[in-house]
Amino acid sequence: MKDHEHIRNFSIIAHIDHGKSTLADRLLEQCRAVTQREMEEQLLDNMDLERERGITIKARAVRMEYEADDGQTYEMNLIDTPGHVDFNYEVSRSLAACEGALLVVDAAQGIEAQTLGNTYLAIDAGLEVVPVINKIDLPAADAPRVKQEIEDIIGIPAADSPEISAKMNINIHEVLERIVTDIPAPQGDDEAPLRALIFDSQYDPYKGVVVYMRLMDGCVRPGMRVKMMATGAVFQVLECGYLQPFGLSPQQELRAGEVGYFTASIKNVSDTRVGDTITEAARPTEAPLPGYRPAQPMVFCGIYTEDGSKYPDLRDALEKLQLNDAALSFEPESSVALGFGFRCGFLGMLHMEVIQERLEREFDLDLVTTLPSVVYEIVQTDGTVVRCDNPHDYPDPALIEQAREPFVKATIMSPNEFVGNIMPMCQERRGIFKDMQYLDASLVELHYEMPINEIIYDFFDALKARTKGYASLDYELLDYRPSDLVKVDMLLNGDQVDALSFIAHREKAYGRARRICEKLKENIPRQLFEVPVQAAIGGKVIARETVKAMRKDVLAKCYGGDITRKKKLLEKQKEGKKKMRTLGTVQLPTEAFMAVLKLDEE
Amino acid sequence: MSKFSYKNRPLGLYLHIPFCVSKCGYCDFYSVTDQTLVKHYVTALLTHIREYGRTCGGYTVDTVYLGGGTPTCLGAKFLGRILQEVRNKFRLADDAEITVECNPESTNKKVLEMLKKQGVTRLSFGVQSAHEDELRAIGRIHTFQQAADAVALAKAKGFANISLDLMYGLPGQTQARFLESVERCLALDPQHLSCYGLKLEPGTPMGRADPVLPDDDAQADTYLALCDVLRERGFEHYEISNFARPGYRSRHNMKYWDLSEYLGLGPGAHSFLNGRRFAFSRDIKAYIGGEDILRDEEEVASFQRQGEYLMVRLRTADGVDLLDLEKRYGIDSTPYEEAFRSLMGNGLIAHQGMRWWLTEKGFLVSNSIINRVVEAGQSQPAL
Repeated sequence: MKDHEHIRNFSIIAHIDHGKSTLADRLLEQCRAVTQREMEEQLLDNMDLERERGITIKARAVRMEYEADDGQTYEMNLIDTPGHVDFNYEVSRSLAACEGALLVVDAAQGIEAQTLGNTYLAIDAGLEVVPVINKIDLPAADAPRVKQEIEDIIGIPAADSPEISAKMNINIHEVLERIVTDIPAPQGDDEAPLRALIFDSQYDPYKGVVVYMRLMDGCVRPGMRVKMMATGAVFQVLECGYLQPFGLSPQQELRAGEVGYFTASIKNVSDTRVGDTITEAARPTEAPLPGYRPAQPMVFCGIYTEDGSKYPDLRDALEKLQLNDAALSFEPESSVALGFGFRCGFLGMLHMEVIQERLEREFDLDLVTTLPSVVYEIVQTDGTVVRCDNPHDYPDPALIEQAREPFVKATIMSPNEFVGNIMPMCQERRGIFKDMQYLDASLVELHYEMPINEIIYDFFDALKARTKGYASLDYELLDYRPSDLVKVDMLLNGDQVDALSFIAHREKAYGRARRICEKLKENIPRQLFEVPVQAAIGGKVIARETVKAMRKDVLAKCYGGDITRKKKLLEKQKEGKKKMRTLGTVQLPTEAFMAVLKLDEE
Repeated sequence: MSKFSYKNRPLGLYLHIPFCVSKCGYCDFYSVTDQTLVKHYVTALLTHIREYGRTCGGYTVDTVYLGGGTPTCLGAKFLGRILQEVRNKFRLADDAEITVECNPESTNKKVLEMLKKQGVTRLSFGVQSAHEDELRAIGRIHTFQQAADAVALAKAKGFANISLDLMYGLPGQTQARFLESVERCLALDPQHLSCYGLKLEPGTPMGRADPVLPDDDAQADTYLALCDVLRERGFEHYEISNFARPGYRSRHNMKYWDLSEYLGLGPGAHSFLNGRRFAFSRDIKAYIGGEDILRDEEEVASFQRQGEYLMVRLRTADGVDLLDLEKRYGIDSTPYEEAFRSLMGNGLIAHQGMRWWLTEKGFLVSNSIINRVVEAGQSQPAL
């Protein structure tokens, strides 16, 4: 007979590189949930991309059994959390499934902003936070200083925190004991109506969607009809069970306080939204669990294949990715310049980059993407409000009563020496300074309200560049505010290039347009005739550059009668041209689009 | 006289002399500096002349061109034997144009007298530059004075059709310096000038050294200035790189530019005979050993032939007559005409009726234009 007293549900909060995955491996090893031989390098991150970038993109959970020093056996559920600001909501839902969290801090580097953000999330969610000082084997390790930092900045006791090295397998046992002693057992009533939180889901080609859940109250059994309270979808449970390191372990029943999964031949992850509450269809709970928020894309861009004939491959790839990523949205769009593609929505810039990389890497596609855009709200003169994430759909200025753009609350944490670099940068990007707090003698936290529009292009890179990589950024959507927006069109030889249009604040439009013109000029090869490159708002040209006509492209030598050689030289030249897109009268290489996208990376 | 007989199919004959005293830094034509091979090579070439003389019995050779390498470095005796063998084994037109490429340092009185005796009508001198530093930089082993002397000697020996080769776009060469070379060459009163822009070929010493050349704009300006000077001095600009006084165009080279038939003997030489292209491999030892190694080109599809025709015709000032093209290949030339029309208005092309040609400004970007026009024709299947 199972009882709640012997269950511990926890997650690990750590900055990238502070050793979360290594610690997770060690915990699994010590619990003999996995044998050494079975060990993958880092169990929890099993996507290549994640491993390379050192971030955990999708939450995973794993159950292990631990025989503690008190002689009792505990069921421990480790729920992994994604580590980037784009996935803030997912993190909050994973945390909501736990009673405690290990806060892993690098003994040499100390606390970083991301860790801080997630730690506050955990504390706000009422979790017991157990600090763990990792990497004490490093020569630069300074555990006492880091402990002091934790107490000063976060305000939780850290004096007797375990000092460990996950890499060297030092003091892992102490961590497990702390989980048992410090983290509370879950509450919950097995007899009450079912109330379970979805914290992740995964598509399995044989079972359909596998829903990862934490049961708060009640039980789940195969055959039970369950209802997703937000989406309203009803399913009959086919299988439920525990999440083991190497797969699923079906059980007769899951009870309150436990973490596990169920399957029900669900075809689409969008029916099982993260944060939604699962209840029994026949005996529903009165109120869903708090905190559900539908995944809302904040950043949009057009994605096209370099080779237009690969369009169906792109669609298949996006569909496959979407099976596991309900936050990814896409719909077909077409562009004169780029052909057929998709307008895709992402949670944020990292999410966008990850998806683009996965498309290129896992599906072997060469992509061309358009400038990212956010969602604008346009109040039209007839009183209707439209949402617009694509410059192409931007209404005629004459029909616009008011345009609004989304603002975020941006939190930047940085050593204080860089504040002088950060503030003008935020100012430049229309940031509204709210306040600045000293976290300790040398670490500050700056609060700004900023348009996301200003963040999505280059802010993160610029921030890193101006703070030697020390500063970190966290942001969350605040509200929509009236803004003087304009749509800027780019024209080549008088023809509009739809894929290069963008929406910007009027004050920013000119500078940006000028830089795009310059970039295009640099990247458009000289043509047989002069090509004007213009940026225009409405019919009014605001910036102009000229690609001079090509002057010399000739085989002066005649190579005797070697016609073949001449022909080959010409054909080689033509090969190069195939990579060009013909826009009206102008030939544009794909690099020109790329260069415009990378506008601000210098 | 066989002018109206069935044996009147005209043929250009090219003989490659793959020897040089030393290789120039920019040149990637096939040649060797091992003079011990000369005797064996001449024997092999004479054998080939006899063989092909028989198989080309249906042709009348109306142009002969001895190129290299450095033909004159063979010396009078061997050159004479080669030219004599051509006369013996091929039917030669009475008014055949016979050209020999001459290098200033090896063109002496003895050689010139022999060439005259053998009926050579035209000499082409590799002068390249009138500046000693430029000559040294590109690996030439003669001075401009030697070139001037050789030309004067040739004239004294009765040669009245003399062509000079010049190069522009050399490292560090300004327009003024190039035009100075042009003036000094014009002072030698040539009938023909070939002016080539330096192209760095991979596998040559200069290609490997990859020096900085005048940029495209500077080279284009130099080229147009050259065209102006030569026009004023009475030269016709009849091909991208070639200029001639009226009546002195190179008839041999014209064959390359209208897809006439020509036979090339010697390693690395190319032929176009009976609708077939072939070349001897660039290997003198194999050639001497009698290994008849031909690099055979496949039969070329009709639409590719049209492309070739456009490619070579558009190098000439006469350009391409679309009516000729239609007749030659039995096609509708409308797509080509449309491509030409789309290029109008930029000073690159001109036309009269169905004949289209490139202007001098157009010559400078001829690769792009040719590609565009040829592509237009290939986007639609030939009728």
